[in-house]
Amino acid sequence: MSEQLDHPILDPRYAPPFPKAVLPVLRNPQLRKNVAHAIDVIQTKRARLVAEKTDWQDLRSSASAIRMHVLENLGAYLEEFEKNCTARGGIVHWAKDAEEARKIVLDILREEKAEEVIKIKTMTSAEIQLNPYLEEQGIKAYETDLAEIILQLGKQEPSHIVVPALHVNRAQVREIFSESMHLKDLSDEPRELTNAARQYLRGKFLSIPTAISGANFLVAETGSVAVVESEGNGRMCLTLPKTMITIAGIEKVLPTFKDLEVTLQLLGRSATGERMNPYNSIWTGVTPGDGPERFHVILLDNGRSSILAKETERQTLKCIRCAACMNSCPVYRQTGGHAYGSVYPGPIGAILTPQLMQMQHAQSLPYASSLCGACYEVCPVKINIPEVLLELRSQVVNQDRKKLAKLFDPMHVGLLVAGRIFSSAWMFHTAQWFGKIGLKLFTRSDGWIHSLPSVGGKWTQIRDLRALPDEPFHVWWANRKKEAR
Amino acid sequence: MTTATGSRQYILDHIKKATVSTAKPAEFRTEVYEALHRPYVHKGQRSRKETLELMIERLREYDAGVVETTPDKLAATIAAQLAESGRKVFVVPPGLPPEWLAAGFEFKIDKGLAHAEIEKTDGVMTASFCGVADSGTIVLHHSDSEGRRVISLLPDFHLCILRTSQVVETLPEYFARFTVPPLLATTISGPSATADIEMTRIKGVHGPRFLQVILVHDEA
Repeated sequence: MSEQLDHPILDPRYAPPFPKAVLPVLRNPQLRKNVAHAIDVIQTKRARLVAEKTDWQDLRSSASAIRMHVLENLGAYLEEFEKNCTARGGIVHWAKDAEEARKIVLDILREEKAEEVIKIKTMTSAEIQLNPYLEEQGIKAYETDLAEIILQLGKQEPSHIVVPALHVNRAQVREIFSESMHLKDLSDEPRELTNAARQYLRGKFLSIPTAISGANFLVAETGSVAVVESEGNGRMCLTLPKTMITIAGIEKVLPTFKDLEVTLQLLGRSATGERMNPYNSIWTGVTPGDGPERFHVILLDNGRSSILAKETERQTLKCIRCAACMNSCPVYRQTGGHAYGSVYPGPIGAILTPQLMQMQHAQSLPYASSLCGACYEVCPVKINIPEVLLELRSQVVNQDRKKLAKLFDPMHVGLLVAGRIFSSAWMFHTAQWFGKIGLKLFTRSDGWIHSLPSVGGKWTQIRDLRALPDEPFHVWWANRKKEAR
Repeated sequence: MTTATGSRQYILDHIKKATVSTAKPAEFRTEVYEALHRPYVHKGQRSRKETLELMIERLREYDAGVVETTPDKLAATIAAQLAESGRKVFVVPPGLPPEWLAAGFEFKIDKGLAHAEIEKTDGVMTASFCGVADSGTIVLHHSDSEGRRVISLLPDFHLCILRTSQVVETLPEYFARFTVPPLLATTISGPSATADIEMTRIKGVHGPRFLQVILVHDEA
């Protein structure tokens, strides 16, 4: 798996900028083939199942309205969730950042004297980089989702939020499993590989008494938590252990139990192209005799409340983590997830990651988009991702504008000059005249400019430029009117 | 945990500041919530017959087995299905009607069986709370006849009894069937599955690999 060594770890603080991170991926035809294949399969299934749903747009607008209403009143709904979860025997913790969340998990595990823990796939745990931290503390965390096992045993990073190992093909899975599970005769048949994972985990499910999960939804009205999954590994983690720890972003709450009738209809279809994913589990605090005896929920802020404060960006928090945006994104389809340098890749990652980093890191991500709008069109909760991308781009520019070095940046100076010129007709016309003369030097006989010096070269590097016409539009327009008279 | 308490206040203060122009006081919040526009389909348009046909079609698409029967033949159908499964030892919840426990099989009645005991059984038989035809989903609320969550999870074979009067067309119709939400609920849409390797759907990962449904026509 030497190709994987080129990839950065998914920590936005250290990841190289997108245009640089993307290079090893673009030079890796196998990885691009794996990603494109997986995306095409999901997209086809999703499109078919969404088309059969006559009220799809109504579900979208309802979900969008419910999620926005939650965000507008987030404090009250969180307190309501806390009250009801606590009344049913759950213990609610609040973590303002990743460090605090990790510490809370560790304290609980220490109290339980846990040396091992089983995990159902959770994005919040990846976001706070829980596994490496627990490892340092001498606690072994076992991922139980098939894709997560592939990544954990293969020492790889996730590249998608729903199917995190979509960049790995069956031959590569066979290689990873046969080596780490000591199965020499394993074939690359997906059925056999899946079975190997079942065998590998069965004993762990039955013997490890502590589990960690994320949450798809929290219900304020009842204090319930909902987890959506396919394999049954989630049900194992939620049911068998004595102690359960759920790490949930503060934005995950829904006002009432009934709201699940909207989100559950949207999530499966959007995420994996299924009418409903095989299993949904909903539980409320502790139920004596059924499931864990101790249940902790960690409500994780980690930058979310600052996103909430901003008018345009607030909608980012409506996200229900279905990944439809990355599946539909022409950029993600070419690059896969690793280039985004974050556990949240694709269009939602491009807006979420820099904001979770308080705009200190991942500033190239708002540019990792063609603004085609496909993500907005498929989003089940109608997040206008292009709108947020543009807002973040303007913030990046404004941040940079204050830096002294910008005075010597040809692009910056060029745009300042252009801004001045475009504000006056005579300056614009004069510039056009000079431009026409100047560009003549670079125009080939076919009427196209193939190569420009300096910043202009950034444009002509990947596309040609039509030469300026002898007669500009405004001249043609003025003459045309005269002729008509 | 003093720091955690501090963080609670810190986060809630931050949220309060962030939502100062949008957050509503309690009574208005409920009003605004209830006025949210929900134009999606609440009640399906299909006839009962079409709804049941759809439920069966969807279950079969998931590779679940479906047989139909009537209340008077239910015990015989159960016996036949258990025999056909080729399995002997079944875990069952404590609240099943005694006539469901067919002769010739061993039933372990779950009154807090250890996980290892449940793991040793060949299968599980439960009742159910609701069936949703639109997505072929069976919902368990884990009552005395539906069993604890663990018994319908560990065994490899699940025989599930669903009455036609429990089958609705749409998901919102399921949510309309109760006023007090359940504390526990599990929805099952076919046997456990994964598509994590090259998006090839593989039936049966950790949950039961075989789901068999007996649909009992109990409606007039």
